[in-house]
Amino acid sequence: MPYRIETRDLNVYFNEVHILNDINMKIPKNAVTSLIGPSGCGKSTFIRTLNRMNDLIEGFKKKGDVLLDGEDIYDPNVDVVELRKKIGMVFQKANPFPKSIFDNVAYGLRIHGIADKDKLEKKVEKSLKAAALWDEVKHKLDKSAMGLSGGQQQRLCIARTIAVSPEVILMDEPCSALDPISTTKIEDLIHKLKKDYTIIIVTHNMQQATRVSKYTSFFLNGEIVESGPTEKLFMEPEDKRTEDYITGRFG
Amino acid sequence: MEKKYPRVLFRKRLNHLSKDVEKIGNATLEAYKDSVKTFFNYDDEPAEKVLTASKKIDEMNYHLEQDAMRVIASEQPVARDLRFIETCIKVGSHLKRTGYLASNIVEVARQIKDEDIPAKPMNDIKQMSGIVENMIQMSLDAFLKQDMDIARELHHEDDKVDDLFDKALKDISESMFKEKDTISYLVYILFVARFLERIADRAETIGDRTIFMITCEKP
Repeated sequence: MPYRIETRDLNVYFNEVHILNDINMKIPKNAVTSLIGPSGCGKSTFIRTLNRMNDLIEGFKKKGDVLLDGEDIYDPNVDVVELRKKIGMVFQKANPFPKSIFDNVAYGLRIHGIADKDKLEKKVEKSLKAAALWDEVKHKLDKSAMGLSGGQQQRLCIARTIAVSPEVILMDEPCSALDPISTTKIEDLIHKLKKDYTIIIVTHNMQQATRVSKYTSFFLNGEIVESGPTEKLFMEPEDKRTEDYITGRFG
Repeated sequence: MEKKYPRVLFRKRLNHLSKDVEKIGNATLEAYKDSVKTFFNYDDEPAEKVLTASKKIDEMNYHLEQDAMRVIASEQPVARDLRFIETCIKVGSHLKRTGYLASNIVEVARQIKDEDIPAKPMNDIKQMSGIVENMIQMSLDAFLKQDMDIARELHHEDDKVDDLFDKALKDISESMFKEKDTISYLVYILFVARFLERIADRAETIGDRTIFMITCEKP
């Protein structure tokens, strides 16, 4: 199986606090991988380590390797802006910029040097269509993104992420603030996107993990307890702690 | 895992399903015993009791299915909990069918109540019915106690019933050839042998479902 991201003996510390402990994980290409686990277990820290978002936090220290297509992303020669173009991220709370819908999606493209109007328009349309938002916003692209509903804002953020053609999309609880209909739209979108992207999603919603992902990893106290095909992990977990967590015997 | 937050209501709901299966199981076992009693010694009262019990078992099973679906919809269970609920539905369904077969035995008993049945086939049925009664009890114990040893033991018991069924078939055919007039009611005895063999299969399958519930493997 081809892997896009691999971590080897990854340990993460914030000052003296040991957050992630010897994480060895292989993320398959063009598939959705869910990360589940109780709050504070290190899931979000893990995905933020994958696109070097933690670099911005004081006291962050890591040991071990994070490889994207076999290349170390923490190599001093790596351009972090280029890296984040390859590994995009969607956050728990939709965070559109206080700009027009068009400018939100075009933002990353402009940063990466695309100024041609036609090219920008085509790219924006393509991204909004890929994010299943085009039909709802095509007649008001110049209107503020802040006027969209929560679900639309989140899909706009996904459009903004995919506009710069990333290889990997990290999603940190992308539906936790959305109603069931918007959640369904995002999940349908994830299904559609997995053909072209490698997706890693952090979710507290077990059913969402079973619906959208092919693989799941269970984190607990900064360690990976169990990883494997989602169906197997939810039907027949190997580790007692996984079974206890997914069946709600501890929280 | 220092803190434990058991899902109290969910646990209660699962226990409730288990109790429901137990009630259906006990009602089924009673109906079966009455049907066999009626077959060997016909009496209208227990016969009616079996027919009424079968309808009640059907009704109880319907409610069990409704409850199980409610638990799935509201609690979204996974892993062993999901397999447990699925097994409750399956076991309920097998018990319901066993109830129907008990009614079938009673209906046959009505048809042949005045006939003088040859001893040999009757002995086969007697032996079969004893083992089958034990198998129903064992299947309930296997599921309710989640006991794989009892569940596996059901395979051996089913083999015994299958052998006795073959013997009954042979004995019934012999009696039919010996005296052609007996065919009209010996056919019914053959039916009963078949009903018992099918009840044994249901009990064996309950054991198999229990093994799947515990191991997630095909027995």
